[in-house]
Parts: sequence; C-alpha cells; structure tokens
Amino acid sequence: MTEQPLLSIRDLKTHFHTDDGVVKAVDGVSFDVHRGETVCIVGESGSGKSVTSESITQLIPMPPGEIVEGSVYYDGNDITAMTEDGVRSLRGSQIGHVFQNPQGALNPVYTVGYQIREAILSHRDVSKAEARELAVELLEEVGIPEAPTRVDDYPHEFSGGMKQRVVIAIALACDPEMLIADEPTTALDVTIEAQILDLFRHLQQELDMSIIFITHDLGVVAEIADRVVVMYAGKVMETGSVEKIFENPAHPYTKALLECLPGQAGLEPIPGALPSVTDPPNGCRFHDRCPYAIDMCRTGEQPPLHDLPGDHAVSCIHYEDGDGDLPELEDVDRMDAAIGGAR
Amino acid sequence: MSTDTDSKHADVTFEDIDWEEYDGAREFTPLMLAKILVLGGITLAWVLDWQFGSHRDPLFTVDPAGILEIAPNPGNVEWLFTLTIAVLFFYVVVPLYLNPRMTRHYWREFKKNKAAVVSLVFLGFIFLLAVFGPFIFGRPEIDITNAYQPPVFAGGTWAHPFGTMQSGEDVFQIVIIGARVSMMVGLIGCLMIIVLASAVGTTAAYFGGMVDEVLMRFVDIMLTFPTFFLILYVVFLYGGDLFTIILILGLTTWTATSRLVRSEALQRNEEQYIDAAKNVGAGERWIITRHLVPNVSNTIITAATLVIPSLILYEAVLAFLGFGDPNVWSWGRAISVGRSDLQNAWWIATMPGVFLFLTVLAFNFLGDALRDALDPRHE
Amino acid sequence: MKAYIAKRLAWTFFATWVTLTITFILMDLSPISASGAEFVDQQVQAGMDADEARELYEEQLGYGDTMWDRYVNFMVGLATLDWGLSTTYNQPVVDVIANSWIYSFQYVFPATVISVVLGFAIGLYSATHQYTREDYAATLFAFTGISLPNFWFAIMLILIFGVYLGWFPIFYSTEHGLLSLENAHQLVLPVVVLSTSAIASEMRYARAESLEYVHAEFVKTARAKGLSEGQVTVRHIFRPAMVPLITILVGDILGLLFAGGYVIEVIFQIPGLGLVSYEAIIQQDMPLVLATVLVPVFIAIIGNLIQDLCYTILDPRIDFGDR
Repeated sequence: MTEQPLLSIRDLKTHFHTDDGVVKAVDGVSFDVHRGETVCIVGESGSGKSVTSESITQLIPMPPGEIVEGSVYYDGNDITAMTEDGVRSLRGSQIGHVFQNPQGALNPVYTVGYQIREAILSHRDVSKAEARELAVELLEEVGIPEAPTRVDDYPHEFSGGMKQRVVIAIALACDPEMLIADEPTTALDVTIEAQILDLFRHLQQELDMSIIFITHDLGVVAEIADRVVVMYAGKVMETGSVEKIFENPAHPYTKALLECLPGQAGLEPIPGALPSVTDPPNGCRFHDRCPYAIDMCRTGEQPPLHDLPGDHAVSCIHYEDGDGDLPELEDVDRMDAAIGGAR
Repeated sequence: MSTDTDSKHADVTFEDIDWEEYDGAREFTPLMLAKILVLGGITLAWVLDWQFGSHRDPLFTVDPAGILEIAPNPGNVEWLFTLTIAVLFFYVVVPLYLNPRMTRHYWREFKKNKAAVVSLVFLGFIFLLAVFGPFIFGRPEIDITNAYQPPVFAGGTWAHPFGTMQSGEDVFQIVIIGARVSMMVGLIGCLMIIVLASAVGTTAAYFGGMVDEVLMRFVDIMLTFPTFFLILYVVFLYGGDLFTIILILGLTTWTATSRLVRSEALQRNEEQYIDAAKNVGAGERWIITRHLVPNVSNTIITAATLVIPSLILYEAVLAFLGFGDPNVWSWGRAISVGRSDLQNAWWIATMPGVFLFLTVLAFNFLGDALRDALDPRHE
Repeated sequence: MKAYIAKRLAWTFFATWVTLTITFILMDLSPISASGAEFVDQQVQAGMDADEARELYEEQLGYGDTMWDRYVNFMVGLATLDWGLSTTYNQPVVDVIANSWIYSFQYVFPATVISVVLGFAIGLYSATHQYTREDYAATLFAFTGISLPNFWFAIMLILIFGVYLGWFPIFYSTEHGLLSLENAHQLVLPVVVLSTSAIASEMRYARAESLEYVHAEFVKTARAKGLSEGQVTVRHIFRPAMVPLITILVGDILGLLFAGGYVIEVIFQIPGLGLVSYEAIIQQDMPLVLATVLVPVFIAIIGNLIQDLCYTILDPRIDFGDR
C-alpha cells in the first residue's frame, strides 16, 4: 500500500489505575487502517480489543484510565496530542462508533429521532427541521421500515436488531470517514447478525468508509475483513490480509484460534488462561499456553512485529531467524537445549 | 443413564432424600448447645429478675481489690441489651470465626476504606466504654459543691476532665452513660429491625400473591407516615421509660428495610437454585431458612448497620426535647440541659454532642464500607 | 393513563383512611387518652368541679360511650375540618394551625429550594468527577451532614455566631415583618442548620443515582457523537437520573425537613407548627397534638401521590399498568 493510511496506531499503551494495581489493558499496540478497507481486530475477551478502539477517540474514562504512551495518527494528525475540543470535533463527524450492547446504547428517555438529531446538530449547521428529515433518511438507509413514523418512537419500542440499526444510523449521522464497530453483532441472533453484516458491507460500498470491526468470531472475520489484527493480552500477535491469516497463519495463537473453529477435526481448547493484567509475565504474552514456547520466549520483551512476505507481520521469535516458519513440535525441546536455554 | 460410557461414573447413583430426616432432626452440635444455654439462660435470668428482683437493690455486689465496686442492677433494657449482645455474638461473630476464608476476604475489602477502619476502632472503644465504663468510672451523682467546673483543658482539674453540670454531676460520667444508652438503642433496635424486616420481607417475597400484596400494602401505609412524627406520636401516647422507647423505635423503623429485603429476596427467588431445591422436594420453611435468608443476609446486615445512626439520633432528639426517660442520662438530655447554660458553661452542651456526632459519623462510615465489602453488586 | 390515575387516587384514599384509623386506635388505647388526669387536675385547681372537668375533657375529645362512637366522631370531625378545641389556646385547632403555619413555611421553603438545587448539583458533579479531590471533599461533607445531630449543630452555631460573635440573634422575634430584612437575618441560622442535613442527604442520593448513569452505555454513545461534557452531563445523566431522584425528594427530603424544622423551632423559638406541637405535647393538649401530627402526614400523602404521577409522566418506559 503506497498511500498514507487513514489511521495509524503506533505503540499505544493504555493503563487503568485501580485499587488492585495498574491494569495494562493495552500494552504496545501498532497497526494501520487504510481508506475504504475493513480491518478486523480479533482476540478473546480481555485481550484489549475494546480498550484499543476506545482509546482512538479517547472514550475511555480518564481517570482511572490513562494513555501512557504511543500515538494515534488520524489523517496525519496525532489524536493523543490534541486538545479536548480537537478530539471532540473528530468524534461523530470523522469517526463514528457502534457499540456491542444495543440494549444499553440508547438513552431510554429520548426518542430515537432526538438521539440521531443530536448527533447531526452537534457537528452540522442545519435547522431542526432539516435535521429531522436527515434523521428519517438515515433510518431508511439502515433499513428501518416506516421510518417517518418510527423516528418519534422510544428505544424500548424497538427490537434488538432494530436498535442496533438505530445505533448505526447515529454513527453515520455526519458521514464519517471511519466507523469503529465493537462486537456489534455479538448480542444478536444469528439471522439478525447476517442482516447487520450485510448492512455494513452495503454501507461501506456506498459511503467508501473504513471500518474497524472488533470481534471474537472468526467466521465474521472471514466474511467481511480485508485485513486482520490478532490481539492477545494487550499486544498484537499478528497482522495481515485476511487471506494470509486464514491460509498461512503464522503465530501459534492464530493457528490455535483457527483450530478452534467448529468443523475442524478434534476440537482442542487452548489450555491455560489469560495472564495477569496487573503483573504480566516477561517475554511473549502467549508463552504460557504456547506449544512452541522455548526458553527465549519467556524472557525479555514481546518480540517486535516481523515482516513476512506479502501483507503479513508476526510477533514471534521463531520467525526472526529467517527460517520463515515454526519448528516441528518435537523439535521444540531440542531447540531449547541447542540454544543453551537462555535464562 | 447409559451404561457404556460410565466406567468412571459407576459409583455415582441417585438417592432419594429423606426429607423427614432433615426437617425433623436438629443437629445437636456443641455450638447449638452453647446457643441454647446462653440465650436461654439470659432470658430465664431476666424473667426471674423481673418477677422477684428489686428495683433498687443490685443483684450482687463485688469489690475486687477494694478499688472497683461492681454492683449491677439491670433493668429491662440492660437485660435486653445482654440478650442482644449474645445473639449478635452467636449469629455474627461466631460464623465469621468459623469461615476464616470468607472473613479474610471481607476484611480485605473492608480495609480499603481507611475511614471505616478508624471508625471501627473508635466504635470498639465506645462499646467497651459503654459496657464497662459505668463500673469503672462510676455513675453521675449530684454534688452541689462542685457545680459548673470547667473541663481540664479550659482551666479545670483532672478530677472532672470534662467539667461538671449545674448540679455538680461529672460530665465525663454522663458521657459514658450516654454512650451506654446510645449503644443499647443502636444495637437492640438494629436486632429488632433485622428480625422484623427479614421475617416480613422474605415471607412476602417467597409466598407472593395475596400474602405479598397485603404485607407490602401494610408496609406502604406505614411508610407514608413520616417516621419522626410517628415516633413522636407513639412516644407521646405510650412512652416514658427507655425500654418502651427502644421498643417503639424498633417497631416504627423496620418497614423501610423490609422492602429492601423483599426486593433482594425476590431476585434470589428467581434464581435457579430455589427451583432446584423445590424440585428435589424441599419444604417451604427449609427453602426460606436455608436458601433464601442466607443469601439475602448480606443486604440485611448492611441495611441494619445503616439504620443504627438514625436510631441513635432519634433517641437523642427525643431526649433533647424532654420526651425521653427522665431517670436516665443520655447525650441528648445532657445537651438539652446544657443549652440553658450556654453562655457560662459551654462544655455541658458541647462535650456530649461531640461524642454523639462522632459515634453517628463512625457508624455511617462503617455501614458504607460494609456495603461496599459485602455487596459487590452495589457498585 | 386515566385508569392508572384513578387507581392511584383510590389507593390514596384507602391508605389515608387506614392511616387515620390506626392513628385513632393508637390514641384511643393509650393510657393518656383514657385518664386525661392532668387536664382534670388543672381545671380543678382553676376552680372547676372534678366531674364537670372530666365531662368537658371528654367533650373536647369528641368522646362517646363506645370506641365506635368515638371513632365516628373522630372521622367526621376530621372530614368537616372540625378538629376540636385546643385546650391551651382555647381556640379551634384549625385556627391555631392557620396562624402558625406561615412561620414554619417561611424558612422551610427556602431551605427546600436551596437543598434540592445544591444537593442535586453537588451530587451530579461528584458522580461525573469520581475519584477527584472534589469528590472526596463532597463525600466527607455528606457524611458530616447526615451525622451531625441538627439540634446540637444549631446550638453550636448559636454558641459561636450568636453568643461569641454576636452576628445573629439567639432567639426568634415575631416583631419583624415576615418579608423584612431583619426577619431574613434572624432566619439565616435556622435555614443553614436545616439545609445542611438536607443537602447532605440529597447529595448522596443524587450522586448514587447519577453514578448509575455515568457508566451507562448510552453515555458512551453520547460522547462518541462528539457532545461536550456539559451536554452529556445534563442531557444524558441528569435527565434520566432526575426520574428516581424525584421519588427521593418527596419521600425522604420532605420528611427530613419537617422533622428538622420541629427541633429548630423549639431551639430558636420560632412560633411555627413545630413549636406549637411541642408545647401541645407538654401540655397534653390532645386535639392540638393530633392535628399537628396529622398535618405532616397529609402533606406526605399528597406529596407521594404527586411524585408517583410525576414519575409516570417523566419516564416513558413505565407501563401504566405496572405498580
């Protein structure tokens, strides 16, 4: 990709100060999003996906949260260095958000139309009547039937799937260039999910938006992603085009995730659990659960993202020696002895 | 049950529970025995004292080492207080002791609130003062020769650290008696409220339907009557001595807590372990006492602790207005007496008030921290 | 909606009737009512014959021969605003109340306004600025406010500002006009004492309710739209939180203010309903005691009704069939 990416995150670290210590939710994350493309961030619960996306527009509560390090470049400008007003002017107008839980995302005491108009009126200089018309148009665009009447209904009068469409309408109210969707279909039925995904695809084509789509469902990734970012325990394990990730998964974690998909022979769960958020281990975050872990994986820092052929990068020590692939499982112990077992 | 997969499950079988065994029998553990002996003993002693004991003469007089004279003459309130302490010991302190892991967890959470820890220490001190103080420091006596002595930090002597009153009573001794009265009001009232609110709340929640409607409508009606005026009215009509006042306080303030208990119990009732118990055939009383109440108990405890400050303040206001027990010194009464001597003897109204304020404050901090520690869903 | 209002009104009447009945029963069964000994004593000392005195007492209380008779007299009297004769004032009770309510109102009203406005504001601020120093300070103030015994606080303020500094008068004097500056001056201390605990309570509730919404998803949505913090706070936290807060307003705060006012009137000698009630209790002026207890009760009942109706209007989620 030769043109400059729309969004460029470099070494982002977002920490939370709690009674039990500092939670390092996002601990050094870097990736790019180009115009018009859909990037899916995948990972299990607790991997830092949501916090990453909310850090982009600084929607995390600060206190107790804090962006301790890193930069978020949007269209060339570093958001982390902007003033409150600067960030706020981006929110809603350039970058829209869709959240996971449609039940809670809408304020129950205002009509749907009011909440859409609010988004419009905070960035565009139009009259209330015009805003109302725009709201109706938006509802139609996201597929709400009888939009002119329903625009005055309250959120509790909509079903879950419909509510999510309204939330999408709000996010699109000011024609943003980028949409950040945090597990927007997780709380919905499979059939509704399919409709919403269709809607996303359609909107992206129509409006030429970039989409950051967070999910833990690899099936969804396969359907809509152009590129994928695999996160684990606050760090990026692997990034690449969707083809590379699915056909040539490089990181042991990605491999294990793909093996978890139903339909594979012998469903094997990944043993172990996420590392402690307040006291993460040395070395690669995944070493505890990785069948390919050698002693060097347990010390030092997370290996930096190493470029692989094509649109593909991985954070794993096994790729740094130019071999380009993981060792055989039986050879892992032998490697330990050969390297001398660095302590 | 299929037979081909269970080589390792062969030892698991379904058994029928003989509910008669559970419902009927009561396990006679040493703890149960201790409870019966102590609680029963206190109650029995109370009844005997009431029937045969004299109003003026103490039960016994003991004079260890010739320094302290211990001559307890318990009235109804003191007996009820002793009973309350015993109940609280068996049902609060002992379970904490028997469940060290749970206790450690609660303590860890509780410790995070520094103000609450300080309050706990302070209240412990006040409690000891309340129980043992009158024996150690003596009861206030009239001594006209010593009238209007200032406190030790304003020109007085250590003989009367907080000064004396118009008729010479020592303010320090009065503060101690006041502490005792407030502790008694707070703890006895708290227990009354726990018992009444739990009984009504869990019953209404469990039985639902007409029972629930009637009980809650009754509670609603009681709640519309502003509590302060209800107390004032009933004390005016029936009140007089401290024992009656404490009973009145308990009987008028339990309703708000019962609503809380009911809503908690309703939520628990929906939980599936109640269904499971019903499916296995457990009786209603068993379900209520063994499943519903223990799970609601955390809410009950925090709500009850938070009522104590109100009870203490109500008693203080009543005493201040002159509607309290005229034979008993309490903080409220002392403040009232001190009010007329504000210009020349400011300490009479100030010292008891400081203690009243700090005690109520401490209970409020304590209750708040308890709620955070015991009720994780609250925040 | 109309069905709901009708149901609610019906319940209000029923609850009022039950409350009055219980009030009567408590009175009728109490030792004071049965003897009226003190009153008789007083009258005998004033020269009246003992039997006559007793008859007079019973007449004033609307006595009948049976409990049912007395009950009927009681209820009819209440309904027709014939609340009996006050033995201390020798006036109809309604007149006594009519003369004194304004003295209570003059300081309760400003105290209510101050506490509601300040309480909500501080509570909302605390919730949106959690964990800051201001939040901790506000919380400390709240705890102090609800723990401070209002009568002791009043006395301390009198000691400092009245006795030592001489800035405010120690006792209330009725010689100033109600709307005069002198009157406002002498009402400062009472209003301060009354407001303190009310603000503290209000603030705690407001903070707790607002906190529920501060972390709500839809607040995140609102921020994501690009709204300013102020807009988010007012439109998306305060507005939904207002609904349950109104419940508390009438239920607890009003009760607090009346109870607080009672003691304050006694301390500052303000001749409002509280002081009248207090002296009635001391003089055992039964009809007046009854009336001054029932006034706050009626206000509470009406207040509850209004508040329930407001609740349903303001929260579109509430189905008018539910309770």
